Amino acid sequence: MCPMTFVYTKLALEKLKTGEILEVLLDFRSAVKNVPENCKRQSLAELLDVRLVNPKKGAEEWELRLKKI
Amino acid sequence: MELSEEQIERYSRQIVLKEVGGIGQEKLLSSKITLIGLGALGSPVAYYLTAAGIGNLRIIDFDRVESSNLHRQILHYTNDIHRKKTYSAFQKLKLLNPDCDIEIINERITSSNSKELLKGSNFVIEGSDNIPTKMLTNDTCINLGIPFTIAGVLRFHGQIITVIPEKETACYRCVFGDVTIGDERMSCSQAGVIGLIPGVMGCLEANEAIKYILDIGDLIINRILYVDLLKYSFNFIDLYKNPDCLACKKDAIDLVEKSDYGRSNICQ
Repeated sequence: MCPMTFVYTKLALEKLKTGEILEVLLDFRSAVKNVPENCKRQSLAELLDVRLVNPKKGAEEWELRLKKI
Repeated sequence: MELSEEQIERYSRQIVLKEVGGIGQEKLLSSKITLIGLGALGSPVAYYLTAAGIGNLRIIDFDRVESSNLHRQILHYTNDIHRKKTYSAFQKLKLLNPDCDIEIINERITSSNSKELLKGSNFVIEGSDNIPTKMLTNDTCINLGIPFTIAGVLRFHGQIITVIPEKETACYRCVFGDVTIGDERMSCSQAGVIGLIPGVMGCLEANEAIKYILDIGDLIINRILYVDLLKYSFNFIDLYKNPDCLACKKDAIDLVEKSDYGRSNICQ
């Protein structure tokens, strides 16, 4: 849930070097939009792609790939 | 330092901030701040710094809680009357955040112990109720090279200044001169004070400390912020370093050891 999805993503990104890729698994629809937006706003990372890894209704999961800026 | 799950949850709303993050939170948790005075200014300072996760907070006060303190000294409650302010504060701050190491000093800060009490601090906050203590804090911190902030309040008014000795910014003594010859300026008990003005100014002092530790934003250096809550004016007055200032001029003598800071003029 917000803001913890972004908090954990941010803490992980802070440990990476520029250009490294972080994979983030989310099960919360609005976070799929909010997390990359916040990463961009804070110049932390840019979104490479989003993949729906579990399409089951009510149990959807997405995988985001973020590139550390 | 690795943040624990509990810490990530507790500090999440500030970790989210671009200016803080996990790196900033670790800086706060590793910092050591000393606070002089646990009264009206010191109460919100201690509260917000503890809440923010300052790793080590040293709190200095010799006084006991009185009923006339309670309209403005928000760390102390009615059942704390007659208790030492340090004990009263410690109890609340530990309940607020067990993460924070609270070190209590039950002494009046004087020219004979000020260096001992302030050394090793990353930042010092002055929240006493008298000008000689503010001057002593100024001189000691400049001597030790520790950045600090000083606030003062009266009636509906407040003022605040931050000094960074390393950057040679204008100091409190540059502005307010030498009180060692005797201070007859008005005190809160005679002039009165609205309870929340030290709350506002104390919050600003805590903000200065957090911003310094995180190295973000602009501090109140080479200027003083003057707040008037009757007229709602918040004005900055630009300051310049006084080249003849006894505390911060080149080759200044050690004032801390030379002065009694007008102790005889402090009303008890």
